[in-house]
Amino acid sequence: MTRFGSRTVRGLVGAAWVTGVYLFLFAPLVVVVGASFDGGERTFLNFPPSDLSLHWYGRIAPDLFHALGLSLIIGISAALLSCLLGVPAALGLVRSQFPGKGVVAALFRAPLQIPAVVIGVSFLKLYYFVGDWIGFYAVGSIPGLVVAHTFLASPYVIGSVTAVLQRFNTRLEEAALSLGASRWRAFRRVTLPVIMPGVFTGAMYAFLVSFGDVPVSLFLGAAEAQPFAAKIFHLMEFDFDPSLLAIATLIIFGSLGLIYLLQRAVGMEALVRSGGGG
Amino acid sequence: MKARWHFIMAPSLILSLFLLLASQIIFLRGGFFKDLRLGRSGTDLTWENYVRFFSDNIYVDSLVLTIEVSAAVALLTLCLSYPVAYIIARMRSRWSLLLIAAIVAASFITIVIKVLGLIIIFSSGGALNRALLALGVVSKPLTIMGQPGGVVVGLMHFTMGFAVLLLYGVIRTIPASLEDAATIHGAPRWRVFWRVIIPLSLPGVIVTALIVFNLCMGAFTSAALIGAGKVYTLPVLIQQTVIFQTRYGMGATISAVLMAVTLLINLLSLLVVTRLAVARRLTA
Repeated sequence: MTRFGSRTVRGLVGAAWVTGVYLFLFAPLVVVVGASFDGGERTFLNFPPSDLSLHWYGRIAPDLFHALGLSLIIGISAALLSCLLGVPAALGLVRSQFPGKGVVAALFRAPLQIPAVVIGVSFLKLYYFVGDWIGFYAVGSIPGLVVAHTFLASPYVIGSVTAVLQRFNTRLEEAALSLGASRWRAFRRVTLPVIMPGVFTGAMYAFLVSFGDVPVSLFLGAAEAQPFAAKIFHLMEFDFDPSLLAIATLIIFGSLGLIYLLQRAVGMEALVRSGGGG
Repeated sequence: MKARWHFIMAPSLILSLFLLLASQIIFLRGGFFKDLRLGRSGTDLTWENYVRFFSDNIYVDSLVLTIEVSAAVALLTLCLSYPVAYIIARMRSRWSLLLIAAIVAASFITIVIKVLGLIIIFSSGGALNRALLALGVVSKPLTIMGQPGGVVVGLMHFTMGFAVLLLYGVIRTIPASLEDAATIHGAPRWRVFWRVIIPLSLPGVIVTALIVFNLCMGAFTSAALIGAGKVYTLPVLIQQTVIFQTRYGMGATISAVLMAVTLLINLLSLLVVTRLAVARRLTA
C-alpha cells in the first residue's frame, strides 16, 4: 500500500470510529425525540414514528409540570448555593498555601466519591437526627432537597472556577491595588469578571446535576414534593405512558438550549475546559 | 497587606465538612446496630450486619457482580473513547470544539431520559430488533432489560461522555511535535502510537479508567431501571434494603463495604501501576 493510501484508510477508520461512538451516544436521545411525535393510539413505543403528530404533547399530566417546576426551583437554588460555597473554596484552594491543602481539596471533592445513593440515605438519616433536635424535619421539603443537591453539585463549581483561576494572572489584581483600588474593588472589578465564565459553567453543571438526580431525590422527596427526574424514574418503573416521551423531548431541547446559551455567553473554550467537574 | 484567602474559604470548608462528616458518621454508625422491625434499631454495638454481609450469598454475589459490571464498563468505555478523544484532540479545525461541546451536552442530559431511549431501541417490536430478526442475525429479539449486559450498555451511556472529555484533556497535554519528531526519524505510525502516545497518556488513562469504574460502582439510576428487579448491583441493593425493608443498619453496612471495596481497588491499581512504572524505568 502506498503511503497516501494508508493515510486515507486510517482517516476513514478514524472517521467511522468517531461516527460510531457519536451514534451510540446520541441514539437514545434521537429515538426519544422521534418516538414522541408518533401519533398512534397505542401504549408501546414506536421509532421511527409511523405518523407524525403532537398528540402526546397535549397529554402530559399536570403533575409532571408541577414536578418540573419544583425541579427548576431546586436546581436554581442548588446552583446558586453551590456558587456561594464553591467560589470562595476555589479562591482559597488556588491562592493560599498551607499544610494539608491536598486534604482540604480532597474534602471538597468528596461528594463525587460517595455513591449518590449513599448521599441520599445518609442525608435522610441526618435530617431525622437534626429534626429530633430542632423539631423541623427537612425530609420531603424543598430546603432539604436543596441542601443535599448543593452538597452533590458543589464540586462542579469548585472544579470549573479552579480551572479558570489557575490561569488567572494575579498581577492584574496587583496592578489594580497599586493604583489605589481597595481589595474588594480590585476583586469585584478585575478578578470577578475574569472568573465569571468558570462560575457560569460550574453553575450550569450544578443545575444539570441537581435536575438529573434520581437517587438523592428518591430518599429525600415526598409524594407532594417529588422532583422531576425521580418522578420520571417512578413512572418508568411502574406506570409507563408515551406522554413521558413528550416531556422528555422538552427536557432534551431545554438542556441543549441551556448549554447553547452558555456557550454564547462564555465561549466554547471555557465550556469545554471546565467540563467534567474537574 | 497580603490577602488571607484561606479565611475566605473557611465558611465553605466548615459547612462542607459538617455536611460530610455529620451525614456519613450518623449513617455509617447505624451499620453497627441490629435492625429491629419498622426501621428501628437495637442499642448494642455489634458486627452482626457485617458478618451477615460476608456470609450471605445475596450480598457477596451482588458485590462481585457490581465489580464485574464496573470493570467491564471501564474497559469498554476506555477502548471506545480513547480513539475518539485522540482524533478530536489532534483535529486542526473549529469542528473539534463543536464535537467536544456535543459530548458535554450529551453528558449532562439526565440518564433517566437516555435509559428511556435505550428501552425504545431494544424493545422487542422496535426497528433494531425487526432488522436483526429479518437479517437472521439473532433468532429472538435482543433485550437489555433484566440483563447484566444491558446494565453495562446503560452505564456506558452514563460514563462515556465524561471519559471522552477527560481523555481529550490528557491527550491535549501531549505536544503533537513529539509525534512529528518520531515520524521524521522514520518511526511508522503504529510505533509512534505505541512508543510515544500510549506511554505519555498512560497516567491519565489510568485515572480516567478509575473515575469511570468508581462512577459505575456507585451508579444507581440506570442499574435500577435496566436491571428491572433482576440485576442487583450494590447501589440498587442499598436502595431496596432501606426503602422496602427499612433496614437502615444493613443499608449502612452495604454502603460501607461498597465504599471500602471501591477505595481498596483504587489504591491497589495505583500501587500496581506505580510498581510497573518503577520497574520499567529500572529496566529501561
